[in-house]
Amino acid sequence: MKNSNNQSSKNIIYKWIDERYNISGLLEFAKKKSVPEYRETIWYYFGGIALLLFIIQVISGILLLMYYQGTEDSAFESVKYISTKVSFGWLIRSVHSWSANLMIFAIFIHMFSVYFLKSFRRPRELTWYTGFGLLLVAMGFGFSGYLLPWNELAFFATKVGTDIAGQLPLIGEPLLKLLRGGADVTGATLSRFYGFHVAFFPGIFTILLTLHLIFIQRQGIAEPEDWKDLPESEKKSIPFFPNFTLRELLFWLIVINILAILAVFFPWELGNKADPFTSAPVGIKPEWYFMFMFQTLKYIPGEILFLNGEFVGISFFGIAGLLWFLVPFWDNRTPAGKKNKLITYVGIIVITYIIVLTILGYLLV
Amino acid sequence: MNDYSMKILTIIFLVIISSYVLAQTKSVDECRVCHLELDDELLIPAQNYSSDIHYSKNITCAGCHGGNPKSDDPEIAMSEESGFIGIPDRTTRYEVCVKCHADQQTMNSYGSKLPTDQFEKLKNSIHFESSYNNKGPIADCITCHSVHNISKVDDPRSKVYPTNVISLCGSCHSNADIIKNYNPGLPIDQVAKYKTSVHGKMNTIGDPNVAECVSCHGSHNINPANDPRSQVYAANISAVCAKCHSNVQLMKKYKIPTDQYESYVKSVHGIALLEKGDISAPACNDCHGNHGAVPPGVESISKVCGSCHVLNMELFEKSPHQKAFDENGFPECETCHGNHSIRYATDDMVGTQESSVCMECHSIDDDNKGYFVAGEMKMLIDSLKNEDKETKEILKEATQKGMDVSESEYSLKDIRQILIQSRTTIHTFNLEKFDESINEGFEIVSKSKQAGIDAVDDYYFRRVGLGIATIIVTFLVIGLYLKIRRLEKKS
Repeated sequence: MKNSNNQSSKNIIYKWIDERYNISGLLEFAKKKSVPEYRETIWYYFGGIALLLFIIQVISGILLLMYYQGTEDSAFESVKYISTKVSFGWLIRSVHSWSANLMIFAIFIHMFSVYFLKSFRRPRELTWYTGFGLLLVAMGFGFSGYLLPWNELAFFATKVGTDIAGQLPLIGEPLLKLLRGGADVTGATLSRFYGFHVAFFPGIFTILLTLHLIFIQRQGIAEPEDWKDLPESEKKSIPFFPNFTLRELLFWLIVINILAILAVFFPWELGNKADPFTSAPVGIKPEWYFMFMFQTLKYIPGEILFLNGEFVGISFFGIAGLLWFLVPFWDNRTPAGKKNKLITYVGIIVITYIIVLTILGYLLV
Repeated sequence: MNDYSMKILTIIFLVIISSYVLAQTKSVDECRVCHLELDDELLIPAQNYSSDIHYSKNITCAGCHGGNPKSDDPEIAMSEESGFIGIPDRTTRYEVCVKCHADQQTMNSYGSKLPTDQFEKLKNSIHFESSYNNKGPIADCITCHSVHNISKVDDPRSKVYPTNVISLCGSCHSNADIIKNYNPGLPIDQVAKYKTSVHGKMNTIGDPNVAECVSCHGSHNINPANDPRSQVYAANISAVCAKCHSNVQLMKKYKIPTDQYESYVKSVHGIALLEKGDISAPACNDCHGNHGAVPPGVESISKVCGSCHVLNMELFEKSPHQKAFDENGFPECETCHGNHSIRYATDDMVGTQESSVCMECHSIDDDNKGYFVAGEMKMLIDSLKNEDKETKEILKEATQKGMDVSESEYSLKDIRQILIQSRTTIHTFNLEKFDESINEGFEIVSKSKQAGIDAVDDYYFRRVGLGIATIIVTFLVIGLYLKIRRLEKKS
């Protein structure tokens, strides 16, 4: 009796919403959508994990905004206040920092899985491009957010990072001034980075993310390459709703728990307040996702032939990034239904390069 | 007259003749012969020279002025060809002295054992700097040793003899018209002060063994007191005083002990100045004075110590101890802290234990109040130190657990200052005032300790919270997993 009462009240609410927003139509659409089920399905969850972490970023970021003050005089103190005085401030700050890193990690896994499964192929080129754009903006989020606590390590890492950007020919100097708001890293840089972090990047990210999700919903989840010739009866799949959604939810719960463990056991350190008049401390390093580029630049000599070493390094990464971005263009074998092992080999080389250089970066600091 | 007598007479005659000839040879100085017949300024130098140490060494006028001393013709004797220079130029006249006095061989040839480094020293001294009117060095050889009547330093006629040197130095240093050209801020009362000192009084009555200007400042190598090369530089002065005051033989007749320097170098002041190089730490002259050096009187000791330890002096002067000490002839600060051998003042100096200086006068039997106050002060200092130590341990534990307690750690830094203030407040010998000073420390320690305990508790609270959250998430994950399985089985 009680159960039937519950059921009827649920129905009333459902009906009330459905009359106004046509939920049943949406659910029908979701139920019709399917996700291929095979040994690589596990990689399909990382896009959703990155989305979850982005949502956590937005929520924890809004909470931090309530106390954070983005000025040279009070940025460090306000973060210290959040970590020590605000109720659960330490948790919010740690979750924000950890989920930022986990989000970029999840985006990397998502990107490489899409790359190796060759899901970027026609007709999903735009999904790939928006995804790549999301990675760049996420890295921009990381770079700008790193400076906001205005601590020693972040201050000098930003100095080094913006110096590298300033090495670019022609646009180097104006870009450096645009980023720093002057010749040096000062309070003006902090204000600028704060603006990028809480207004500019969220705007761009939201647009790209919306497009990315619309593309996925309109085109559905990509099928594996070798299903092309399989008869429909042999293609195994699960409904997007509720099966895939519930599985995704399960992963989300695990990620949330991992995040909580990291935040409690490894609270994000604050260090010492930045002092522009002291010399750079030992062990200046960028965030881990910039480390492979930073380490590469260290190995490049000051001058190569008649070119500036840093310029050569930046150009190398620029061209490599562009080629990576344009992979749907230059991979003409996969859309034709042929195996393209070159893509796989390039991917393996890139992953190995990133891992080795990152490890070297941490070992040799 | 026999042969024998003739021989004796011949020998005597020969001796007289040869002595006369030798005497004539030695004094062949036609310059003097001639100048002794002249008047006033041309006569006086020639007259004075007969008492000059150089005259006794057979050095003629030409030794300094050039010319030919053997010629009685002024045209020849004072000709340029004979090297006559007349009165040496004021700017370079020291060169005339240096010519011999910086040359060991020349000095040996006159049988002199004088050192030959005077000019080297003078060159590096303040006196060799250019005079304000660019007439050579501020002071050169002649300025102090004079001319034509120069005597040995140990000759009472010498201008640099210990009892004469005061007026010699004073002739410039007590003259505002001269000194203001160089350093308008430099006092000119040194001689006046010196005459009030024990050294000055003894010197005035003709004792050449007491310290005068040269004894402390040096002679040729004089430099300003703030120049590390100076003998009276803060870090050098105690050794300068010790030259005489540690000399048992010299001090015997004055009945002065000779262990002051030995005690001083081991004292907190001596270690600060001589070992740590802290030139703000006091040397002998800071307590005894320099030009007016005297032992401080019993009742003025707190003023002397108070010139640096201002607060301690002010508090002591308002305390009941000052009156009691002065009435009983106790030398104020020195009564508890000693004089030359002042050691680092530890907290064990106060209290009721054996090491306490309070117990030298107070005891439980006849002075309950003093005994009680001393005991309370010691107890409060010790308990603040213990609380501070304990709190630091708690904060350290919190930090090791990854908790941020930097604010409490920062406020705990004030405890050191509060302890210093409280130790100073001991000099009021008033328990109420001492409490006021030290209680601030207890408040800080109490807050910091609580913050540390809260941080450690928060650390465990976070873990418990995480544990509960993990259990809930685990249940949700299991529930969700079962739901998915059931759903997929159905389909």
